[in-house]
Amino acid sequence: MPVKNRFADLHADITAWRRDIHEHPEILYDTHRTSALVAEKLKAFGCDEVVTGIGRTGVVGVIRGRETGSGRAVGLRADMDALPMQEQTGLAHASKIPGAMHGCGHDGHTAMLLGAAQYLAETRNFDGTAVVIFQPAEEGGNGAEAMVKDGLMERFGIDEVYAIHNSPGLETGQFAIRSGALLASVDEFIIRLQGRGGHAAKPHETRDTTVMMCQLICALQTIVARNVDPVMQGVLSVTSAETSSKAFNVIPDRAEVKGTIRTHSREVRAQIPDRLRAVTDGIAQTFGCTAEVEFVNGVPVTINDAAATDHARAAAEAVSGSCGEVPLSMGGEDFSFMLDARPGAMIRLGNGDSRGLHHPEYDFNDDAIPAGCSWLVTMIEQRLPLN
Amino acid sequence: MPVKNRFAEMQEEITAWRRDIHEHPEILFETHRTSALVAEKLKEFGCDEIVTGIGRTGVVGVIKGKADTSGKVIGLRADMDALPIHEQTGLDYASKTDGAMHACGHDGHTAMLLGAAKYLAETRNFDGTVVVIFQPAEEGGGGGREMCEDGMMDRWNIQEVYGMHNWPGRPVGSFAIRPGAFFAATDQFDITFEGRGGHAAKPQETIDTTVMSAQAVLALQTIASRNADPVEQIVVSVTSFETSSKAFNVIPQSVQIKGTVRTMSADMRDLAEKRIKEICAGVAATFGGTADVTYYRGYPVMVNHEEQTDFAAKVAEGISGSCEEAPLVMGGEDFAFMLEERPGAYILVGNGDTAAVHHPEYNFTDDAIPAGCSWWAEIVEQRMPAA
Repeated sequence: MPVKNRFADLHADITAWRRDIHEHPEILYDTHRTSALVAEKLKAFGCDEVVTGIGRTGVVGVIRGRETGSGRAVGLRADMDALPMQEQTGLAHASKIPGAMHGCGHDGHTAMLLGAAQYLAETRNFDGTAVVIFQPAEEGGNGAEAMVKDGLMERFGIDEVYAIHNSPGLETGQFAIRSGALLASVDEFIIRLQGRGGHAAKPHETRDTTVMMCQLICALQTIVARNVDPVMQGVLSVTSAETSSKAFNVIPDRAEVKGTIRTHSREVRAQIPDRLRAVTDGIAQTFGCTAEVEFVNGVPVTINDAAATDHARAAAEAVSGSCGEVPLSMGGEDFSFMLDARPGAMIRLGNGDSRGLHHPEYDFNDDAIPAGCSWLVTMIEQRLPLN
Repeated sequence: MPVKNRFAEMQEEITAWRRDIHEHPEILFETHRTSALVAEKLKEFGCDEIVTGIGRTGVVGVIKGKADTSGKVIGLRADMDALPIHEQTGLDYASKTDGAMHACGHDGHTAMLLGAAKYLAETRNFDGTVVVIFQPAEEGGGGGREMCEDGMMDRWNIQEVYGMHNWPGRPVGSFAIRPGAFFAATDQFDITFEGRGGHAAKPQETIDTTVMSAQAVLALQTIASRNADPVEQIVVSVTSFETSSKAFNVIPQSVQIKGTVRTMSADMRDLAEKRIKEICAGVAATFGGTADVTYYRGYPVMVNHEEQTDFAAKVAEGISGSCEEAPLVMGGEDFAFMLEERPGAYILVGNGDTAAVHHPEYNFTDDAIPAGCSWWAEIVEQRMPAA
C-alpha cells in the first residue's frame, strides 16, 4: 500500500492551497484568514461538524466514519501560524506580507491535513470519528495549550492524537520517528537582580550587582554539570545579561539575566527551575541583595507514546516502505501539550534537501504532500478499522 | 589673621557673580559665556594681561605685584565648567539651561578666584607675579591638560600652582589638605569578549561568551584582593555588562563590559592595566574565545607636593584657626596635570552640610567665599611678601 492514488489526483489542489496559505502568512493567534479558509474548506468537504474559536483562532473539524460503533475518536493536528521573519525565497508564491513568512512549513502541514480531511469526508472508510485539529500560535504562543484548555480533548472525545512535522534533510516523502522524548521542554527565565547602586570609586557603599550577576551566571553552570543526572539531557543557557546602567563610573543598582532551559524528561524539567531558584536566592543572599525569578513561555517535553509510536511507524512503513529513527532534538514543539493530554505521536516527514527550518530561504516541499496525506488517512483507517 | 576684611565687604558682589554663573552653566569646553564674563571682569579689575583661548576656552590673567624683585610667579587655578545634570534645587537662581548644572561648585571656585583677582589687582601687596588660571572641562574633558599642552606654565614662567575644591560635609570655611597622593588616577576600560554565537539549545556548537565574560568579571576582582599590595589603594569596578543579543534562545556572539580603575600611585595604575589585559586574555583563552581590551588612561594621580602643602596648610590655619588632614579621595581631579608640571598644592574648603557634589540638589555655599578668597590672597602675599 504505497501513497494513496486519490492524493495523486488531489496533489495539484492541495499544492494550490499550500501556496495560497504561504502567500498570506499570519503570526501567532492572528491566523484569521487561514482559520477562515480552513473552516470554509472543511464545510465544503462535508465535515459533520466545524467549530471555530477553540484556542482563540483554532479550528476543529469532525468527520464521522461509515461506522461509529467503536466509539473511538482519533485526532490529527496541524499548525497554521507563520514566523515573524522576512522571506527571501524569491518564489512566485512568496509572502505578500513584509516581516511574516511560513518559514517552518506550517502552510504544508495545514494543506496536507485539509487534503486528508477531504479524502476522509469523501471515503469515510473507518469505524469511529476523525477529529482534524488546526491550531494557531505554535511558534512561541502555546496555541496547543490554549486549545487543550478550551476542552478540545473532552469535547470531541479524542482518544489519541497524531501530528506531522516536515524535516529538511530527510529524503522527500520518507518518514522518521522515535519513541519517548522527541523534542525538548522549553522554559524561558528572567532573573531580576537588585543591589545597591553607587559610584564606581566607592564600592564599599554599594552592593555590586555586576559581580553578583557574574557569580550567578557561573553558579548556574553547575546545575547541568552537578545536579542533573548525567544520563539525562539538560541545557541551561544564559543568553542575555544586562546591567541597568551602561556608564563607566556608575555601579548599577539592577541587572537582568535571561535564558532558556531545555530538557527531555518531566523530572529534569521540574528539577532545574527549583535549582535555578535556589542558586539565585543563595547568590543574592551572599551579596546582601535580592533577586526575583520569573518563568515565561513554558512548553513541556514532546513525548511520543510507545504504542502510538508503533502505530505511526506501521502507517509510515505502509505508505513509504520504511520509517527511520530520529535523533533527539533540543528544539521545542507545543504539540507536547496535546501529548500530555492524550497518548499519541509526532512523526517527521522528509522535506528533501531544502534550507533549514526558520531560514529565510526555506520552503515547504510540495512533493511531500501525497506521502503526508496518505500517512494521515492511514492513521485513521488503521486505528479505526472497519470490521 | 582671620578672613580678610576686604572680602567681607566684597562677599555680596562675589555672591552675585557666583549666582549669575550658576544660572548659566556650561559644559566641558563650551564655557563661552563664563570665559567671556571672566575675561571682562579681569579687564575691569585692571589685570596687566588677559589671554583667552588657552586650552580652547581657558582664560589666564596676569597681575604684577608692587615689586618684582623676587622673580617669582605663582599660579592660582579655578575650574569653570558645569555638569550634564538636571538641577533639582528649586533655587531662584537655579540653572536656566535644561540638563546642565553647576553641581560640583565650579561656579563658586570661579567666583572666589575672581574675588581674589580683584583684591590682588587693587592691593598688589606682593613681590612677584600672580597668574590666575580659569580652566574649562575639568569634568572629564582634560581642560587642565590642554592648558598645560598650550604651554601655559612656560609662557608665564609659573613656578608653583595652587587649587581649591569645596567639600560638602566639612564645616563651612574650614580647610583640609594632605601631602602626597590625594585624588585618584581615573582610568576606564572597555572590553569586548568574542566567542561563537549560536542556538541556546546547542551549547556544544558555541563558545559561550556570557559565561566567559562572567568568569572574567569574577577574575578581575582578584586584582584588588590578590595582586595589589594590601597597603596600596586600588578600585577595579566593572560597571556595565551587555550581551550582543537580548533574545531568550540565542547565545550571543559577543559581550561588552566596561568599568573604571582608581589608583593612588603610578605603580598600581600600571599593575591594573597589565593585569586586566592578562586576566581577560587568559579567561578568553580558557574558553576558546578572544578579548579585546581598550584601557583609557584618564586623569593621573593628583599628588600634592610636600613643601607647598605645608605652606598651604599654614595659610589655611591662619585664616580658619586650623587645617585638618584630608582623607584620600577616590575621585579624580584634572588639576593633577598642573601638579605634574609644577610643584603646588590642592586644598579642600568646607561647604557645610549640603548634598554631595554631583547631586541634583547640591549647591555651593556662598558663606565659604570669604575664607576661600582669603586663602588665595594669603597664598600670594605670604609666598611672595612685599618688602
